[in-house]
Amino acid sequence: MATLSAWQERLEATALAPVSRTGARFWALVGVEVAVLGWGLYAYSVQLRDGLVVTGMRDRISWGLYIATFVFFIGISHAGTLISAILRVSQARWRTPVTRIAEFITVVALICGASFVIIDLGRPDRVLFVFAYGRWQSPIIWDVLAITTYLTGSIVYLFVPMIPDLALFRDRLTGRTSRWRAWLYRTLAIGWNGNVAQRRSLIAAIGMLMILIIPIAVSVHTVVSWIFAMTLRVPWNSALFGAFFVAGAIFSGIAILIIVMAILRRVYRLHEYVTAKQFIYLGYLLAAFAAIMIYANISELLIHGYKLEEGAGFHLRQLFLAEFAPLFWFYLIGGLIAPIVIVLLPATRTVAGVVVASILVTVAMWIERYVIVVSGLRVPLMPYESADYAPTWVEWSIFAGGLALFALLITLFTKVFPIIAVWEVAEDHNAAVTSPAPTYAAVLDIAADSAGGSS
Amino acid sequence: MEEKKGQDVPGLPDVGLSRRRVLLSLVAPGMDRPPAQSGEGQGGEGLPAEAATPEAPPRALGGKIGRRRLLRMVGLGALAIAPMPILPELIRSAVAQPAEPPRGRRDPARTRDGRIRQWTMIIDLRSCDGCQGVGGPPRCTTACVEGHLAPEPMEWIQVFEEELPGGGTRFVPTPCMQCQNPPCNNVCPVGATFSTPEGTVLIDQDRCIGCRICMAACPYDRRFFNWGEPPTPPQARLADYSPEHQVPARKGTVMKCDFCPDMARAGTLPYCVQGCPNQAIYYGDLEEDVATNGRVVVAASRFLAENDAFQLKDELGTEPRVYYIPGHGEAVGRDAFSRGRAPTEWPWTEVSEGSVTWQR
Amino acid sequence: MKATMRHTIRAALALLAVGTITVVLTAPALASHVVVRTAFPTSGTVGEIVPLAVDVRTPEGAPLPGTTVTYYLHMSFAGVGGEAQIGRAVTDQNGVATIGYQPRAAGLHELRMEYLPPGATAAEQVMGAFDVTGGPQLVRPSGGVDIPGINSGLLMAVLGTVWLILLSVAFRLVAIARAGGATGPAPGDAPR
Repeated sequence: MATLSAWQERLEATALAPVSRTGARFWALVGVEVAVLGWGLYAYSVQLRDGLVVTGMRDRISWGLYIATFVFFIGISHAGTLISAILRVSQARWRTPVTRIAEFITVVALICGASFVIIDLGRPDRVLFVFAYGRWQSPIIWDVLAITTYLTGSIVYLFVPMIPDLALFRDRLTGRTSRWRAWLYRTLAIGWNGNVAQRRSLIAAIGMLMILIIPIAVSVHTVVSWIFAMTLRVPWNSALFGAFFVAGAIFSGIAILIIVMAILRRVYRLHEYVTAKQFIYLGYLLAAFAAIMIYANISELLIHGYKLEEGAGFHLRQLFLAEFAPLFWFYLIGGLIAPIVIVLLPATRTVAGVVVASILVTVAMWIERYVIVVSGLRVPLMPYESADYAPTWVEWSIFAGGLALFALLITLFTKVFPIIAVWEVAEDHNAAVTSPAPTYAAVLDIAADSAGGSS
Repeated sequence: MEEKKGQDVPGLPDVGLSRRRVLLSLVAPGMDRPPAQSGEGQGGEGLPAEAATPEAPPRALGGKIGRRRLLRMVGLGALAIAPMPILPELIRSAVAQPAEPPRGRRDPARTRDGRIRQWTMIIDLRSCDGCQGVGGPPRCTTACVEGHLAPEPMEWIQVFEEELPGGGTRFVPTPCMQCQNPPCNNVCPVGATFSTPEGTVLIDQDRCIGCRICMAACPYDRRFFNWGEPPTPPQARLADYSPEHQVPARKGTVMKCDFCPDMARAGTLPYCVQGCPNQAIYYGDLEEDVATNGRVVVAASRFLAENDAFQLKDELGTEPRVYYIPGHGEAVGRDAFSRGRAPTEWPWTEVSEGSVTWQR
Repeated sequence: MKATMRHTIRAALALLAVGTITVVLTAPALASHVVVRTAFPTSGTVGEIVPLAVDVRTPEGAPLPGTTVTYYLHMSFAGVGGEAQIGRAVTDQNGVATIGYQPRAAGLHELRMEYLPPGATAAEQVMGAFDVTGGPQLVRPSGGVDIPGINSGLLMAVLGTVWLILLSVAFRLVAIARAGGATGPAPGDAPR
């Protein structure tokens, strides 16, 4: 009992630490992020003044970096879906330390992704027309509906399991924190004190959400893929796009979660809770989804490449041999094959190895979205020379600003809200301590622990 | 795993839920837990208070509010919230007239006995030589550009040079296909591009939000975007904009060939038809089954059938309204192997202030 | 006497010549060896097929099969007027050539039928006309495939269901807030 209490005290102290103390390094990081974001906003103001002509997009290649980044961010948002929802439904206990950050990545990624669509509009002053004149038959409206629903659901799904931890903050931090923070925790904890009726409501709410959020998330990236698949462009005219994009979304979501968790673990000393086990298991999932992506790519490319209908030959040549070859081969080898190799080899199956694999995957998935968008538009429709596209400084700046916004929101979040799901981690710990059944899973745990060490 | 299904764990909220309990909690709030708790279970860190001194029998969740009242509130709330996503549609269907009048347009063009005309274009490739014979850029494109003050580099009717089997080429003037199953209409999120009763596809630049999904969807490369302030001559600003007469162009919106519906309704022929020196372009009405190139009149159906007319990319199912009669300019003396045509020019000596141009 | 006879013969010959020329000029259908009649209905309706028959016979009344008759209709559109061919038929053993024509405009239809009589070197023609009244719209901008139930109502129903479930979650949160009255474990105690 005493040991458990001490463990619990340590857990709570770790969870409260970021909120209680803020060092100079934090402000320096925030300063950098705000500066990059400011530069991105300046670039956007240039675009608002002069029009989209300041980008590299033209009539022949009319979508580029913005839409690629939009798809990328929406893909990342599936981190929360997988970890919080799918793993919760399948009762995988090891996920508890990472659920909170996964859910927050989802919300922030959706916000960043949605803003990139608006940035891409030629008439952003008319964005409300989407609501006033929206047509149900348009893939973009499906997108708006799905993303709005998913954003609402994710915010709720972030908030509801956080209520007990917010109550913990409210109780532990009274008098030791600023007034607005005390007010925030008191309000958001909505009077939680752990009694039976409240617990019952919480369970019911979480239960409903975790099942509901999975089809919502699947539908979100499916309709995002249908923005491409509902056109008649040869590389996009595929029935596989929906499943392909959802698999890629979960894939990139796992990778970004690994990266963010590695950073937070180092900065906030979460080594006792976010152990090597989390990284190894997420690494296994990463490898599994890399295998699914390889399968999807083979399906797409082999089916088109075997027959070589009109346009398919041009497309395969630009992907594998010519203009997009460096990017595409990097995606295949660095993004799909390397993670599998890294995770399968015991020597590289470490926290550091998994993080490297995740960085490769994140970069490769952005490249894959970029290649899908630009190469799809580059196949000539009529007898003309195919055009070329290169993003301009405006596009790169706004892209950097979007990444900075993503990082900034997460940075600020860690300072205000509990980054570990305290009550879930404690519950998992108790279950493991009081009845350590020698299951196969436990054997795997031991193997993972010894392999990963305490890095 | 450590947690067995179906087991209730007093104390910590249990999220390793059994499916049965989840379903119960969805259907009958509060009925998913038996009223009294035995102390069995795994959490040593249980809630000692609860095991030792059971509180007043935990009422069903609905107990505080009353299940019937709760259901009533849910029902009313659903009625309030559920229409939210469809509210704009409801408003529009409530206030809109039965047939929403197209924006900025008058009545559709009609035949003498009141039937709506169905515009079509037939391009006789036997007479098109890309204006090699007369020299200079293709006159159809030039006439269209000048008539509409089209911004550079837009060629609403564009003369492509297509390779023929055997090595020669032919010139294919390509206006907007005015599809009857238009991919651009289908994907537009705000209905800025729409079909008229005459079967023509128009764009309302006052509604377009510039998302460019229509440009991705068009399989004929016939839509053009105003990437910057469009380089039109200053006098374009004097014109009254309407979707049937797209002058002046607006920054950040899409444009394309519109079959000159205002001119056709008035009984004259589009700019490209008038501009062709070989009268290779016929403009017609499928309802009245007649077409003319400015010199001769033909019965459209017979003209198409007897000359083996074809359409571009008809396997895609877009159902275009533009037909082609196969040829390579032989009727005006062009040799199939003489390649090249002059590039189009936009002859404005003066453009609006602050406008820019761009490559396609 | 001889001079009078000469004058008379000259006058008779002149009369004969004028008469022949007159006959030739004024009755083109009355060519030397065919008699052509048109058998058109007096009126038709737009959209309904009208049989246009041309009867070619010898002056004796025997039918002339095997003669090709080409039909031209006078049309005008966008200020351009002219003739357009609308059909071609060959006379059958009864000497009748028929086409079924679907009139597409209302008003008077003026036709010219051209035919080459057997043994003649130049084509000859006969005129005809009939009136056409208006009819229903024939060509419509085509829609898609209408499957009952697959419409925006279905989308609204699915969306409404999802938002309803989110709403019920919101009610749970309200319940949590309202249940805050009952006490739970003391703060320093066991975890929640």
